[in-house]
Amino acid sequence: MQQPQPSPSPKPKKKIRVPRVVNGIEQMVEIEVDADAGPGWGANDKHTLLNHSYTRVDGPLKVTGTARYTYDQRLPGMLYARVLRCPHAHARVTSLDTDAASKIPGVKAIIPAPLTEVRFAGAPVAAVAATTPEIAGDAVRALKVKYEVLPHVVHGPAAIRPDAPKVVEEESNLQEKGKNGDPQKAEAAFATADAIVEGEYISQRVHHACLETHGMVVDYRGGDTATIYASTQGTFTIAADAAKELGLTESAVTVSVEHMGGGFGSKFGLGLEGLFACRLSKQTKSPVKLMFTRYDEFVMAGNRSGSWQKLKAGVKKDGTIVALNARQYRLGGLGPGSQAGQPYIYQMGDTYREVYALHTNEDSSIAMRAPGHPQASFAVESLMDELAYKIKMDPVEFRKKNLRDEVYHRQLERAAQEIGWSRRNPIAGGNAGPLKRGLGCAVGTWGGGGNNQCKVDVTISRDGAVVVAVGTQDLGTGTRTYTRAIVAEELGLTIKDVKERIGNSKLGAANPSGGSTTAPSLSPSVKDAAIKARMLMAERVAPLLGNPKPEEVVFSGGNISANGKSLAWQQATASLPAAGITSHGEWRADLQARGVHGVCFAEVEVDVETGHVKPIKMVHIQDGGLPLNRLTMESQINGGMIQSLGMALWEGRVMDAHLGMMLNPGFGDYKLPGSLEMPEMVPLIDDADKREAVIGIAEGCIIPALGAVVNAVFNACGVRVRELPVTPDKILMGLANGAQITQI
Amino acid sequence: MTKSRDDREDQKHNPGRRKFLKGVGIAGAGAAIADHLSWTEAEAQERTTLSGNARITLDVNGSARDVQVEPRTTLLNALRNHLEPAVTGPKLVCDVGTCGACTVLLDGKPAYSCLVLAVDATNRKITTVEGLGSPESPNAVQAAFVEHDALMCGFCTPGFVTTISAYLKKNPNPSLDEVREACKGNFCRCGTYPRVFEAALAAAKSTAG
Repeated sequence: MQQPQPSPSPKPKKKIRVPRVVNGIEQMVEIEVDADAGPGWGANDKHTLLNHSYTRVDGPLKVTGTARYTYDQRLPGMLYARVLRCPHAHARVTSLDTDAASKIPGVKAIIPAPLTEVRFAGAPVAAVAATTPEIAGDAVRALKVKYEVLPHVVHGPAAIRPDAPKVVEEESNLQEKGKNGDPQKAEAAFATADAIVEGEYISQRVHHACLETHGMVVDYRGGDTATIYASTQGTFTIAADAAKELGLTESAVTVSVEHMGGGFGSKFGLGLEGLFACRLSKQTKSPVKLMFTRYDEFVMAGNRSGSWQKLKAGVKKDGTIVALNARQYRLGGLGPGSQAGQPYIYQMGDTYREVYALHTNEDSSIAMRAPGHPQASFAVESLMDELAYKIKMDPVEFRKKNLRDEVYHRQLERAAQEIGWSRRNPIAGGNAGPLKRGLGCAVGTWGGGGNNQCKVDVTISRDGAVVVAVGTQDLGTGTRTYTRAIVAEELGLTIKDVKERIGNSKLGAANPSGGSTTAPSLSPSVKDAAIKARMLMAERVAPLLGNPKPEEVVFSGGNISANGKSLAWQQATASLPAAGITSHGEWRADLQARGVHGVCFAEVEVDVETGHVKPIKMVHIQDGGLPLNRLTMESQINGGMIQSLGMALWEGRVMDAHLGMMLNPGFGDYKLPGSLEMPEMVPLIDDADKREAVIGIAEGCIIPALGAVVNAVFNACGVRVRELPVTPDKILMGLANGAQITQI
Repeated sequence: MTKSRDDREDQKHNPGRRKFLKGVGIAGAGAAIADHLSWTEAEAQERTTLSGNARITLDVNGSARDVQVEPRTTLLNALRNHLEPAVTGPKLVCDVGTCGACTVLLDGKPAYSCLVLAVDATNRKITTVEGLGSPESPNAVQAAFVEHDALMCGFCTPGFVTTISAYLKKNPNPSLDEVREACKGNFCRCGTYPRVFEAALAAAKSTAG
């Protein structure tokens, strides 16, 4: 028998739990990482580029129309595709007559949708490819479809009735998704409360409304390879399924995402748009561009899950919450929906919750920036406010009383100061005159950790050029920019000295951008590659600098120096071999972390004669470990507040119960936040967070603004609107029904 | 007489109507409108018909560009889908004049190019965002947009830049409220508005001096 060979002692390992994003939804998995992986980022206030403000590197391309998006791709012989949508909320397609459509000059292919039973209005029935988008539209209108129309239900409260039409045959529209806690204990605890508040909170379905609609250009002309230009959040989420459709191997399909016009959680995978584009391209052996129309985008590209939450909480006079009973319905249409469990971030004593998915004949909700959190936050923050008024306690103090995490305390104090909380009239609706101002606040949390999915290469050429390459995508979050900056800082160069190559599936692997996981997944790999490039460079030039150890070589200000000797960057790189040097970076758990905190305050003005709500000022404070770029981070905080504000006051899908159709599938009727409604906005980075680790912040900053706005509305006019959005009719109805002027 | 709903549906699939729509360019304003309109064959015949392809010359960013389009083709689609090489700075986002991403200047005035037929844009000076500056030599508004991070995904940005560039010519020293008013016809989804305002005011300041 052979003796076992002595092996080198393995590096110490540790197990950690990290998020992995599947279709935009975070799932936690356990992985093993090195316990000690190398040098860290250093103190957050010691950086030369990171944690500073610097402009985004693709800015000049984007402001001049030079940046090429998927929608801008135009290839020789390219066909344009359009989709025929079903006008019924529930139907069977009994026949599809393509005769008239196929006779239209310029129409090259017509294919049916893979399913014949349609369960929501707007579901695709067929797709057409033609030489112009106009002709493709003609062809779609010329298709003759016969439907067997079936009964439908599109409103949650209607779907729950025993006689409601079944969304899926033989299955209840109501599906239990879990119970948590002890109902008896909660019931007993209510008996000890000094006050009890009960409320039903409803959040509407809102749309991602990405300005670049979903779509792809599939360039397959027969042969062994294909290229796909995709508007996607996941460069690496498309090739496998596309290859199946095209009859190619996965590696024969290249996916390119140079620039993309917004996703917010809705753009992962091949999707129906990609499936149709692949099939049409395969059939015609021509490049096919299928970009959804704005109508398509509203009716079949996804939406945020609605919610219906029945909450009951008991509180003691000193502000201690003793019990919560929650019944949470996720309104995800055909899908399961999403909603964080109550009591969300608060300590509420003995709690009990039941969670259900309530199905309707609407397209499935999909991941949208912080899936499930804004819904839960809106309900619990409304409840918190109602409890605070009930026991006459300051809402900020009341929150601190029931939040264990000290980070929230400091953020509440900092943001309260910024908005001028001391100006707040404790009497709701108590200010004089028809234009009443009010203040409100709310709190939110998210994970924002990374995973070991990114492979990064840094190449230094003999002419001094530095290129960092990884297949990741930039959604407008500034990924390109910080990728460059990390390398530039490590090598003591400026941002201009480094170029990045991203957005291509032939480059190193990268994770899909969902759940704030991009920065914490990508930046450790970039940093690792940059450190290794620095070490390679240091070894290379050591003979020119009196043979220092690699870690003694200083890279700064475009120079490499040691032992009192210094080389300009290009002098140093001239000593490299012809092929230059390339380092390879892997993810390191120690360079990232998980768990963010955010607090939002809002000031609004309510016109009690018209019910109109005008946002005046919003403040959001967000922690996120090491801010990679303060400028783009502040922009993202603004963006989170604005999207949340839209959901609070204006946005919402309107469904017609009888027709089962969306009534407002366009920007003329679906009200996005616009320039005239913008309040003064103050994005604050919480620099008291000293974690020397990168954490994603995109989700964190969209969560609490909803609660802050509805609570400000209550403080302003005394009307508690429990159903979003807070439109003037609801305010006027509340005033007409004698909203109590509540004194605290 | 008002036709019944069902009759209208039948008309939708009538090739005669299609030809008609093609002719008068109604569909040019976006297929969404065509979805909701229909005429009888007789009504269609009464109208002036222009069909087939039209060969036109567009003055785009100072150069004469020959292009062949259907009469119903919008200026936006002509720029993006028919000019060779394409002009893709103006973006197609809503196609029905509700978002401003396709804004171009016609003789210096902002217009939604999705609401203008290409055949109606001959003899007009068409300026797109590409005509205002280049990455190497941006105009004041473009430079300020980069400096103040007035963009994220960037899909609405060409529209905002074009609108504001034209506005500052008209009003070189605007107030914040005037800037808000000037770009009320442009939507952004990422939420760049506060910094768009900052950039516009900064651009005004930089050109005023």
